[in-house]
Amino acid sequence: MREAPKNRIAKDALKAWKLTAIIVMSVFWALTIGGFVLVYFMDWSYWVISFIAAGVAILTYVTVFLIPKIRWRRWRYEVFDQEIYIQHGILIVSRVLVPMIRVQHVDTKQGPILKKYRLASLTISTAATTHEIPALPEAEAEELRDQISVLARVDEDDV
Amino acid sequence: MSNGKRLHPTAIIFKLMYSIKNAIYVAIPPLIASFGNDFFFWVIIGVGVLFLLFVLYSVVDWLRFTYAVVDDELRIHQGIFIRNKRSISKHRIQSIDLTQGVLHRIFKLTKVSIETAGSNQGVDAALSSVTFEEGKAVQDALKSKGPVVETEEEQQEEPDYPKKSVTNKELVIAGSTSGSIGVILGLMLLGFSEVERFIPESAYDEATRWILALAIEAILGLVIFFLVILWGLGILGTVIKYGRFTITRYEDELFITRGLLEKKQMTIPLKRIQAVGIKESLIRQPLGFASVYVEIAGGEVKAGSRTLLFPIIKKANVEQFLHEILPEYQEVPTEFTKLPTRALPYYIISMVFLPAIITVAVGIFLTDFIYLPIILAIAAVLFAILKHRTHGSHISEQQITFVTRDFSKDTILVKHKRIQSFEKRQHFLQRKQNLATVRISMLNNFAGRHESVSGFELEDADHLSDWYSLRKRAIPNNSDEN
Repeated sequence: MREAPKNRIAKDALKAWKLTAIIVMSVFWALTIGGFVLVYFMDWSYWVISFIAAGVAILTYVTVFLIPKIRWRRWRYEVFDQEIYIQHGILIVSRVLVPMIRVQHVDTKQGPILKKYRLASLTISTAATTHEIPALPEAEAEELRDQISVLARVDEDDV
Repeated sequence: MSNGKRLHPTAIIFKLMYSIKNAIYVAIPPLIASFGNDFFFWVIIGVGVLFLLFVLYSVVDWLRFTYAVVDDELRIHQGIFIRNKRSISKHRIQSIDLTQGVLHRIFKLTKVSIETAGSNQGVDAALSSVTFEEGKAVQDALKSKGPVVETEEEQQEEPDYPKKSVTNKELVIAGSTSGSIGVILGLMLLGFSEVERFIPESAYDEATRWILALAIEAILGLVIFFLVILWGLGILGTVIKYGRFTITRYEDELFITRGLLEKKQMTIPLKRIQAVGIKESLIRQPLGFASVYVEIAGGEVKAGSRTLLFPIIKKANVEQFLHEILPEYQEVPTEFTKLPTRALPYYIISMVFLPAIITVAVGIFLTDFIYLPIILAIAAVLFAILKHRTHGSHISEQQITFVTRDFSKDTILVKHKRIQSFEKRQHFLQRKQNLATVRISMLNNFAGRHESVSGFELEDADHLSDWYSLRKRAIPNNSDEN
């Protein structure tokens, strides 16, 4: 765990995350605009709502631009014959080792946003934990899934 | 089909008690609500009818429940309307335990619990009440030891398997130092010595002061009396629960019997043991006592319930105990890789955070009592230091040992192959200071156990990760079993 894992996740992950964040933030913006309309008609002071709008603007910047960028830059993985090595985290950087012989099953998953960018996420489950590699190119994710499932097929009779 | 046997008729009573226990919450509110008015009579009749229905149900349920041991299989037929036929192969059975409640013991009966692999309760089976001989017979018939071993065993009547029982003295020590009772007692005594200071001087004059003081003393005495009673009950509870506790080691399983009133058996297949822990609570640690427990995969699903291998034991004897009963885990290290001093501030900050907020709040609103949160904060600092000094790790060829402390000191021994995943974490300050948090995950009978120690020297954390990494281990030599 001295060196970081080698492989990065798909560059398009950035776009997918941004899109997700934009969708979430648009709900906040809709509410904020609704607030402005309400303030206009009810003749209240603009103080509070402007304050909220500023907050939402900062939040938009952080979630749409900052976080996806840092998150992408941080995300690394590497699959060895004996184990899977993952690095992720924004403020707290976490490096995880999952031995192949502990892997119980591997899944690939794809929501509508990931599908749009032809990405898929890979979930690796052990008896006690689950780990996710969030955005890999479709083909790569499937290849990796099959590869891991072959490597994980080690004879071990105990739990 | 096959003519199965019925359970002992007392099974009806158990079923009935079980049904009533579940229904009582529904029955009580209308009873209370209607107490004393016109509906009371009808409610009583309703409850009576319900009771009769339960009795009927329990009887029919008993009539429809049969079991038989056929060709290495336990077959159970049950269900009143929906018939359920279940066969459990003897090779799939992990453990068969006999449990005797008080009622069981009066009539020389026993409950037979059959556990299969997996944690799904629905897959397991139980015979709620059979005669003791019958239970023993079922147990013998279904033990997957193979006929050869069985006859051998019967002739020699148990060769010398390692065994350890709890003594009465140990039980009393366990009871008197158990749980929170002791802590409460200590805190209360400490608290009450301060109590008189709480009453502001100006609030009452000489005369009322005398009466009040008397009243307070009376209350104080009463509370202490009450606490002593509670304490006594705690001891009694422990004695009843863990009385005649005996653990025996067979080839590939541990066998525990315990209980003074209710006799319980428990079989722990060694394969299922995920980790061994040595717990020293704040009261027991200074006295040199600890309890030994195991984390087991599967089995009875209960949050936070650990299986005790021994309720109380001198810390110094733990290694000897494990050597006899569970030699797989006999290695109990005493020297640990400790945390560097520069990790201490994080411990203090995380512990003092809450008391500090309280201090500020009290400082603003209740300035007179400012000393209370300050005492709390100082205690938190001391505790943080204690925590920092306790935490540590040790690795050997096949085993990692973590020492951690919530309140109790917990030494946990885990084999390499039982660790499901390994995580090293650093937040941005730790990155600057070359510190790291290490977290290992293992399986247990609930949601898994994740044990983490924060504030390792980065180099030490990397050393642990090298130990865990199969890629790096593969080079020196191949891992061998256990």
